[in-house]
Amino acid sequence: MNGTRTRLGTATTVALALGLIAACGTGDDSPSAGDDTGDGASEDVTISVSNLPPTTEEGAREAFLARVEEFEERHPHITVEPNEYEWDATTFAAQLAGGTLPTAFQFPFTDGQSLIQRGQVADITAEVEELSYAGDFNPSVLDVVQDDAGQIYGIPIAAYGIGLHYNRTLFEEAGLDPDEPPQSWDEVREYARIIAEETGQAGYAQMTQDNTGGWMLTTLTYALGGRMQEGGADDVDVTIDNPQTRRALEMLHAMRWDDDSMGEDFLYDWGTINQAFAAGQIGMYMGGSDVYDSLVTENDIDPDDYGLTVLPLDGADAGVLGGGSIVGVRPDASAAEREAAVAWVDFYYMSKLTDEDAAVADAETLVESGSPVGTPALPIFDAEQLAQAEEWVADYVNVPLDQMRPFRDQILDQPLVPEPPVKAQELYAELDGVVQAVLTEEDADIEQLLQEADANVTALVGAG
Amino acid sequence: MHATVRWVRSGGISTLILLLPLLLTFGYFAWFPIGNAVVMSFQETNLVDEPTWIGLDNFTTIFGDPLFWTSVRNTVYFTFLALLFGYPVPLVLAVLMSEFRRGLGLYSMLAYLPVVVPPVVAVLLWRFFYDASTTGVFNTILGWVGLGPFEWIQSASMAMPSLVLQATWANAGATVIIYLAALTSVRAELYDAVEVDGAGIWYKIWHVTLPQLRHILLITLILQVIATFQIFTEPFLMTGGGPNNATTTILLQIYNYAFRFGDYGAATALSLVLAVFLAIMSAIYFRATRSWSTS
Amino acid sequence: MNHLVRTPERARPGAASTGTPPSKAPETRRHTRRRLRTARRAPAPEERGVLSEFDRDRAAVRWGLRIAQALVLVGLIAASLGPMLWLAKAAISTTQDTLREPLALWPSGIQWENLATAWNQAEINRYFLNTVWVATGSWFFQLLVATTGGYVLAVLRPRFTKLLTGAVLATLFVPGVVVLVPLFLTVLDVPLFGVSLLNTYWAVWLPAGANAFNVLLVKRFMDNLPRDVFEAARVDGAGPFRLLLFVVLPMSKPILGVVSIFAVLHAWKDFLWPLIVLPEPQLQPLSVRLPVIRDTVTLDVFLASLLISTLLPIAIFLIFQRLFLRNAGLGNAVKA
Repeated sequence: MNGTRTRLGTATTVALALGLIAACGTGDDSPSAGDDTGDGASEDVTISVSNLPPTTEEGAREAFLARVEEFEERHPHITVEPNEYEWDATTFAAQLAGGTLPTAFQFPFTDGQSLIQRGQVADITAEVEELSYAGDFNPSVLDVVQDDAGQIYGIPIAAYGIGLHYNRTLFEEAGLDPDEPPQSWDEVREYARIIAEETGQAGYAQMTQDNTGGWMLTTLTYALGGRMQEGGADDVDVTIDNPQTRRALEMLHAMRWDDDSMGEDFLYDWGTINQAFAAGQIGMYMGGSDVYDSLVTENDIDPDDYGLTVLPLDGADAGVLGGGSIVGVRPDASAAEREAAVAWVDFYYMSKLTDEDAAVADAETLVESGSPVGTPALPIFDAEQLAQAEEWVADYVNVPLDQMRPFRDQILDQPLVPEPPVKAQELYAELDGVVQAVLTEEDADIEQLLQEADANVTALVGAG
Repeated sequence: MHATVRWVRSGGISTLILLLPLLLTFGYFAWFPIGNAVVMSFQETNLVDEPTWIGLDNFTTIFGDPLFWTSVRNTVYFTFLALLFGYPVPLVLAVLMSEFRRGLGLYSMLAYLPVVVPPVVAVLLWRFFYDASTTGVFNTILGWVGLGPFEWIQSASMAMPSLVLQATWANAGATVIIYLAALTSVRAELYDAVEVDGAGIWYKIWHVTLPQLRHILLITLILQVIATFQIFTEPFLMTGGGPNNATTTILLQIYNYAFRFGDYGAATALSLVLAVFLAIMSAIYFRATRSWSTS
Repeated sequence: MNHLVRTPERARPGAASTGTPPSKAPETRRHTRRRLRTARRAPAPEERGVLSEFDRDRAAVRWGLRIAQALVLVGLIAASLGPMLWLAKAAISTTQDTLREPLALWPSGIQWENLATAWNQAEINRYFLNTVWVATGSWFFQLLVATTGGYVLAVLRPRFTKLLTGAVLATLFVPGVVVLVPLFLTVLDVPLFGVSLLNTYWAVWLPAGANAFNVLLVKRFMDNLPRDVFEAARVDGAGPFRLLLFVVLPMSKPILGVVSIFAVLHAWKDFLWPLIVLPEPQLQPLSVRLPVIRDTVTLDVFLASLLISTLLPIAIFLIFQRLFLRNAGLGNAVKA
């Protein structure tokens, strides 16, 4: 559960840092934070919104509250109650039932399809289609918030791709050039071996717990050109037992048992692997491209240590697994509440993407509050917008941009592949065990593990 | 009418007022949920819409889940190991300690100390002790005598024994204190009687002490089984059920159903199955304590 | 108490025996005291263990016993005290020392500021207070329910006493964790009231009150109080409330002490339930927060946080040691 919580946590941070993400293809300048909602029958409505920064982040919190005030001025009939709620998969349903879930709440791509299928998030197609940029979303991003019939259940506000994070200091200690990160999986393995030998730290580590094991195995599979599910949500075929996943596991097995280059801890989750990396105990690991934000704010990493590159892609269909954040609306919200919630998302999240002033103001606040600005993200609309937004806030960047260059220069050339559409968390949970088995049992039978996992998930998907 | 008056006169109202706290808390937080558990296990709910009746589907789900038997096996294994480590040690300690004429208070205090350490603290601390590198705390200590390094919780075969070791550390003290109290009640005449026949120390332990403790031994045994079947914090915080589900217990499964995958129906169904088993154990326990107190 | 029990209250079978009422207490107390006194003098003839005086005179036994005693002492210190002493050491060491030489004594000096950092930056202060608050409320409701309930069932004894006692007793057969999910749903939507207790301390306090063990413990104790005292008070015109407040409660202090201590300690140790019903971080007690803190602070500060979280329970234990040891052993089922 940590994994989910935290993974989402990052997405959240990204959303905060989203001065980066460009948007709104139309380029029409009107701050789309539509006053349009004000027309018609503007009955008074109160909504609560998630992700108010906690009191420990004073600057960010004040900025958030200031935006709330501004919003209320523009929409006199809407009252906004900011809430510190942050997504947590383990308590989500409870908060929904217990009435403590805000009207508009943020959640990760991974859980999008499950929430839609369980009827735990509202259909906001009509409201979203009113937005001027409704047609400009990157289709593969929009896909995450749509059901099979094309109805829309949320607004994607930030996206990231998985990257390879590495410790430049350990690279140097091991005699490797930190400006020349590995380009292929063979090189990853080789570098890991050298780092382990020369520094005694884990050359390469991977998350395995709380669904992150499956998440990372899926990432690795995508990078080698395989898929975990084929077909749409309605008629899905589980393909866990595929040659690429097998190859991925064989590689992990070799690194663990032949090279002994993966350290001693094989029960990392999202929080603990970040902590260990920030503490200099890990040479390389895979994680969301936005993890740097949390490495700074939560784990106090030394910025000089940090390096980020893209995952090596290998094979015809190879792609990078993407993720991100969505804002959705409570399923029991009234029409007026839904409308107000979408207006809020439009104003708070989207205007920053469309409007230079909003982007700059946001970046200013982030810098003041000591939060990172400039961590790489992926486009929600298209690449040009992203470049545009990055330009707007270029003066405010406070992250070691050069050390992230290998990633930034190449990520847009990598095909982005969404997470498995059906029961992603359950699939990940099943694969946690597979990855753990390979890393903790030398004689693990990869073939058999995959067959079993495939059968189990097929049964689950069928049952759902 | 008369009855009512009599009821009021005899203090019926104050009795009722005094009973309210008990009736309300038990009604809401014990009796109702227990009844509701039965109902819920035949329903599907997403906590938002009205629950729907789905017959035995929840039970099909849990029994069809490959992790069901894994978790049952793990839980039984945990219980078995906990008995293996945790059952004799407190007994031996207590029998020894009861012979000491000096410092019994100090010994008892030392033995009981781990029991008061909050489980979360203990588990997180031991999680660190179990660091599998050569500089891990336990591996360093064992390294002094040329053992290890061991993989502890990083290996499917060692993970469960490691959890049990920690749990035993955290709980054995309480059992020691129980046995100590029980030992004081072993009647002196019994020892005197066999000594007349020239019984040795081992004979006395085997034929007097242990038989005299048999009831308390049975009770702690049952209580331990009941407790170990509800093991949660250790695997949850130490291994997350890994590696490769080697430490996924029944309660962890219940938790995962409910709070990781949002399947409250399956979670309740599994709870109910566990509850039936534990109720049987409790009934045995209850009979044991009763038969003892009346004997 | 028993091995591996997560919910001491529920599994304190013998707790009943603590309920030895004043009328019987002298005997039991003397018993215990005499037991402890064996340390100092030759024991009274009926107070003996396996070894007879004759056994003790044999050199082999004497030495064997001495060696055993030394071994047990060393073993207990290493096993029980060791981890806590190590934690105390590590809490004021640097992260690198703890990682590289976990058993060396401060190779790079003592780092006291870990404690302050944990208390302030990691916000242990807030979570500490939350925990105190959780424990206080749980204590109050447990005591309230146990005294009023026990009093009605033991002293007032209305007609349905048997039925009610049975209903309370029955809940003992259903271990708390098993009703986890239904109880959780009850808290989400309290029937008839239609409110949600989620993210409020009531969600922890009120279910804590429904503790059958406490009720039965107190009932049993009050059952054994001399009834002629109650009759005398009634004749003097004392109603049920006055009887409770001025007669029964003062006589029940020992048992209330026992219930209180275990209520507080249990609340301090509880993890799963507050984890579920208090998703709001600002409200969470230490147990729930520590695993999260681990991921966000450096190791030295984390270990300092662990140490701080343990100090209060250990202090309570040391202060009320005798009460613990007498009742944890819980005269228990043995004499119940």
